[in-house]
Amino acid sequence: MKLNWMRRQQLVGYMFIAPNMIGVTAFIILPALFSIFLAFTNWEFPQLKADFVGMGNFSRLVQDEVFYHSLKNTLIFLGSVPISVGLGFLAALVLNKSVYFKKTLRTMFFLPYITTGVAIAFVWMLIFQPVNGPVNTLLMSLGISNPPGWLSSTSSAIFVFDIIWIWFLLGYNIIIYLAALQEISSEQLEASKMDGARLFHTVRYVIWPLVSPTTLFLLMTGFIVSIKQMGIFQAVTNGGPGDSTTVLSLYIYKTAFRYYDMGYASAISVALLVIIILITAIQWIAQKKWVHYS
Amino acid sequence: MKKKSVGFVVILMLVAALSACSGNNNNQGTNGQAGSSAGSSDKVVNLTFWGGVPAEAGPQEIVDTWNKQNPNIQVTYVRYVNDDSGNLKLDTALVSGQNVDIFANYTKPLLSKRVSSGAALDLSQFSDYNIDDKMGAGAKEWLVNDKYYALPTKKNMHFVWLNKDALDEAGLPVPTDWTLADVEKYAKALQTDSRWGYATFPFWRDVVSFDGSLAVQGSVKEDGTSNFDAPIVGEALQQQYDMMHTSKVSPPISLIETTKMNLIAEFLGNKVAMLNAGEWVFRDANNLTDYPRDFKAAFAPLPRMTEAQDDFRYLGGLGDAIAINAKSEYTKEAWEFLKWYADGGMLPQAKGGRIPASKDADQSKAIELLLGDLKDKYDLESLERVLSNELPTFQVSLPQEVLDIRTEEFDKYYIKAQSLEETLQNVVRRHNEYLKRN
Repeated sequence: MKLNWMRRQQLVGYMFIAPNMIGVTAFIILPALFSIFLAFTNWEFPQLKADFVGMGNFSRLVQDEVFYHSLKNTLIFLGSVPISVGLGFLAALVLNKSVYFKKTLRTMFFLPYITTGVAIAFVWMLIFQPVNGPVNTLLMSLGISNPPGWLSSTSSAIFVFDIIWIWFLLGYNIIIYLAALQEISSEQLEASKMDGARLFHTVRYVIWPLVSPTTLFLLMTGFIVSIKQMGIFQAVTNGGPGDSTTVLSLYIYKTAFRYYDMGYASAISVALLVIIILITAIQWIAQKKWVHYS
Repeated sequence: MKKKSVGFVVILMLVAALSACSGNNNNQGTNGQAGSSAGSSDKVVNLTFWGGVPAEAGPQEIVDTWNKQNPNIQVTYVRYVNDDSGNLKLDTALVSGQNVDIFANYTKPLLSKRVSSGAALDLSQFSDYNIDDKMGAGAKEWLVNDKYYALPTKKNMHFVWLNKDALDEAGLPVPTDWTLADVEKYAKALQTDSRWGYATFPFWRDVVSFDGSLAVQGSVKEDGTSNFDAPIVGEALQQQYDMMHTSKVSPPISLIETTKMNLIAEFLGNKVAMLNAGEWVFRDANNLTDYPRDFKAAFAPLPRMTEAQDDFRYLGGLGDAIAINAKSEYTKEAWEFLKWYADGGMLPQAKGGRIPASKDADQSKAIELLLGDLKDKYDLESLERVLSNELPTFQVSLPQEVLDIRTEEFDKYYIKAQSLEETLQNVVRRHNEYLKRN
């Protein structure tokens, strides 16, 4: 059979993307669909059979106190994303001006992002160690007799992860913002200066709107990366003390690979997927109010 | 609602694909005569043995010895780490038909799961080895559905490690039967500015104190609800709490967790006077290069809660339950190896504290290997006593999820985040929810 030119071109195109598409389909799309299917079964690894339980896993989910507790912890943890984006913007503004050691500082901020998570985790554990750690030693030398227990207390442990995560994301946020700041044409800045705008006004009414697409990008990707984060929780506290740092991703991991309850773990994953879609959709809709595309 | 059974076509397809891949590794030539005539055949059978002990801590020596004596049955040892991801690796290998012929199980709940998925061979088909007779009464704790699917091979021994020099200094005798109150008394006398009196591993802390009694009373009441509010539980929690926060002779849980305190190193470095642990400490205690030690270690049985506690059971029994993959082509050969292993083949692991359970294994040789040339570093009299005791034992058999629920709630009590009453209420409520689902 002879193909016409158009068809041949299309076929060549598909062949070019085929290696990638086959990989993505086999290792990402099919497993993802399969896990949605599993959410409606009671499959327990390592058995090879399971029953359809319909919405059973989901009705268990809405009554599961650990799920709500983990969801709360996940949301508290997500609070670190906007803070880190905000700090990243401010730091990028400073680094964009002529400051000493600009390159060194940029490298230093970016280092956490390319360091192994577990190594980071252990350093932070030492820093927040309640008795001999530098943070509490400093607080005590400042006259605070009863400093927080940080990772050893159920009320403060999750916030330690916020601090770690703000610091971790910061370097990436700064680099992306720096690129965005370079894009702003000097004419716009000069025009605002001529109009008599002071530094604060320039930042608030000229620079901030101009980098708003970058802000949206950083928020969206930041939320998605953070909501899936599991490694540092596992390495530092494994969800403890008690269950005070059990986030959804860790709960899924434990349910699936510690209790082998694959059906229920898949149901929680589906819930997590819905949450990610919701958060992203809200941002997407809200962007019309504050994101400016030039 | 009527449940519909599904065949899991997709899983089966995946499994089939995976096993087809691994099938190439098998010796195709022996397929036809597998099992039946291996003894007389010249074909070499290759077995793979998955275990959690590092190869250099004994298993390599074991399989080397066997391979030399049995040129027709060659065993390869594969180490899997006995944690969540390691067990997952083993289970995936079993399900997907990779080469696993023999595998070690370290907890009964995991063995039960493997039995229910059809991965473990029913050992009752072999009539030439009486497990009950060889291993003693403790073997029964490994029965799944009243059958042996795995052969427990090692003695589990939990006892308290004591710093004998510190005891002598304080003029205290090595205890032979004691209660938690005695422990606290000892701990107070042994505590110094640089040394804790007494420590327990967070995981074993609750198991050793009251699970023995619950094994007798049942962790579930007759009406099917949780028995974690039995009086003994509250009593045990209270006492452990007091040792952390009132008499302050034990390092509090928050300190252990946030500093990832290595209790074995602390004990061997004379920073903890008494350590509630077991035979697994020997591996480090015999290693004077990494853990230099200038004192003698003595041994005491686990403390009972109170004098009056008549249902106390010692955590112990048997461990290292070794199973044969039901899908293995060479189950007979695997069984030959397993019998040899249990009856003394496993001895090289004794230097790390793994004492064979079989009555036909050479016990004095095991002790010899265990102590090596460090006899003067141990109080042999008390060691003899804890190793040869005939005290009633029990085994941890609660599912992982229930153990985790307990740890979460108990930890909140130990770090003062909730009261004892709240703790017991929460544990019972969550355990009941678990029971309802399962």
